[in-house]
Amino acid sequence: MSVRRVISGSIYVLSAAIGIMAFAYPFFLETRASGSTGITHGQEAPLVTTALVGLSLVALLVELQGQATSAKTVAMLGVLVAITSVLRFIEVAVPMPGGFSPIFAPIILAGYVFGGRFGFLMGAFTLLVSGLITGGVGPWLPYQMFTAGWAGMTAGWLPRNTQHATRSTFQRTRQQATHLTRNILILCIFGFAWGLLYGVIINVYFWPLAVGSTEQTWTPGIGLGETLTRYAVFYVTTSLAWDMARAAGNTVLILLLGVPTVRALTRFQRRFYFEVCPAHD
Amino acid sequence: MIDARVWLLWALTTLVAASSTRNPLYAVLLLLVTTVVGIVCAPDQGRQVPLSPLRFAAMAVPLAALFNGLTAHLGHTVLFRLPDWLPLLGGLVTLEALVFGATNGLMLTVIFGGFAVFNQVTPVRDLVKLTPRAFHETGVVLSIALTFIPQTVRSLNRIREAQAVRGHRVRGLRDWLPIVVPLLVSGLERSMGLAEAMVARGYGAVSGRAQPLRTQGLLVVGLLALLGGWLAFLFLPSWKGSAVGMMIVGAVIIVGVVWLAGRAVSHTAYRRHRWTARDTLAVLGCGLTLAVILLPLPLMDRGTLYYSPYPRLTLPIFDPLIGLGLLGLLVPAVITTGGRDER
Repeated sequence: MSVRRVISGSIYVLSAAIGIMAFAYPFFLETRASGSTGITHGQEAPLVTTALVGLSLVALLVELQGQATSAKTVAMLGVLVAITSVLRFIEVAVPMPGGFSPIFAPIILAGYVFGGRFGFLMGAFTLLVSGLITGGVGPWLPYQMFTAGWAGMTAGWLPRNTQHATRSTFQRTRQQATHLTRNILILCIFGFAWGLLYGVIINVYFWPLAVGSTEQTWTPGIGLGETLTRYAVFYVTTSLAWDMARAAGNTVLILLLGVPTVRALTRFQRRFYFEVCPAHD
Repeated sequence: MIDARVWLLWALTTLVAASSTRNPLYAVLLLLVTTVVGIVCAPDQGRQVPLSPLRFAAMAVPLAALFNGLTAHLGHTVLFRLPDWLPLLGGLVTLEALVFGATNGLMLTVIFGGFAVFNQVTPVRDLVKLTPRAFHETGVVLSIALTFIPQTVRSLNRIREAQAVRGHRVRGLRDWLPIVVPLLVSGLERSMGLAEAMVARGYGAVSGRAQPLRTQGLLVVGLLALLGGWLAFLFLPSWKGSAVGMMIVGAVIIVGVVWLAGRAVSHTAYRRHRWTARDTLAVLGCGLTLAVILLPLPLMDRGTLYYSPYPRLTLPIFDPLIGLGLLGLLVPAVITTGGRDER
């Protein structure tokens, strides 16, 4: 059992490492746009990284789906993905301000309630299904699936409220309400952070290949601090306002819909995942 | 009708071709090819894409040109000068920078256009059929999600109508609460019923469905080879050959694991698509384009694939043989037209 757990953990870690290296590879390219000519070398690298992200996603899905074989998990995942994909369809049909998208709040809330693995699958499948129905299939899809999956997975790592069985029902209910309100505030901050982080991660894989002013483009040998400063300038100039709409949208959606959604999901989690324990003689 | 796998290969070939060239003449040719294929193969059928490639081009090309023109102060043909006190934008605005930006926008449009055609001509059910057998559970989740989408839309409309009858009006985000929560709860109730029906029909009845230890071990080895190869590719330029070899080994292991896992899953199809001569022709067309782009073939000047307008704008060179090779992507349009004439 422990060997299986170690191997399973290794698959998660290696997939995440490949994903991170694929997103951040341009930071490590030795040659690229030379200052005076703007000629870009390493043309094959974007294709290689797309293949790498795709393959590591495949490996992770093989591992994850092995743990989602219960009919209840499969059915619930399918229905939640359908509901969230409809939200994406609305987003495409009715243009929202900036990068605002209503799909991230459900992914985060589902990951928070059902755990990191479910959250990853929910994020990845939502982007896949919504891509299928809105005509959004393309080389960008593996990156989007990975990033949305990470958002759902990390939501499962957030602290949950704890129950004290010794207290009275009234006290327990009040304590749960207090904890839920506090957790919703944490989820709001988390949703805001992922609203920006999604843009930061998606941008980073092509940024060092973009050509522009020296204050916001990457050149070899400038060091990590300078690289981060230049990326920050590039991000603030080109993407921050766009991503801010997504971050603010996530916050507002979680603030308005978070409490009833978490309650509903938690109620169904209890209904879905009860266990019948045989009585001991 | 062309096989969905062939269309996937066609879209990937377009991606490879667009990613491998910086020559605007080849980009324009690729754009024309994808547009013609889109018009011929998906005249009024298939799914609508949210943004047409032409509209995408109308936005992407000027915006990319503007962004690069205002922020990259390189090149010799100066159009005008912005005051130096403007942060990031201050400096020379050159024709070369505008052209370079426009070329980037054009390349993006080609990639977008290729996949827009793919999305239009391939029905969703055919895309789901592309799911490898090893991803049985994934395929079931996708099928459930795609099946439930129309039901979810109907539920949404019913709930909105019911709330409207009660006098509820949607004016702001908060007003969506009485709609979203019933939608979620009704969806979860349906999933409960569906799960019970699946269990009743024996879904998940086979015990020990967790991945075998051997499969997991092979996945770890494959991922290690991919990661090791990629790190060697980035940090050890002298080991480039070995690094690529390691990555290929990793890819083969992962694909092999998926294939082996798929063999254990029985798969049936109601109406199996028959591979036809047209599919073969389309594959050969893609092969021709890939060969021209990727292989150092004689009589071809591959240097024309890489064009840069810096430091002074010059006309890009067009090699007719490479242009002819790119026309391999036009095969689906030719065989579709031929098929209509036959009928």
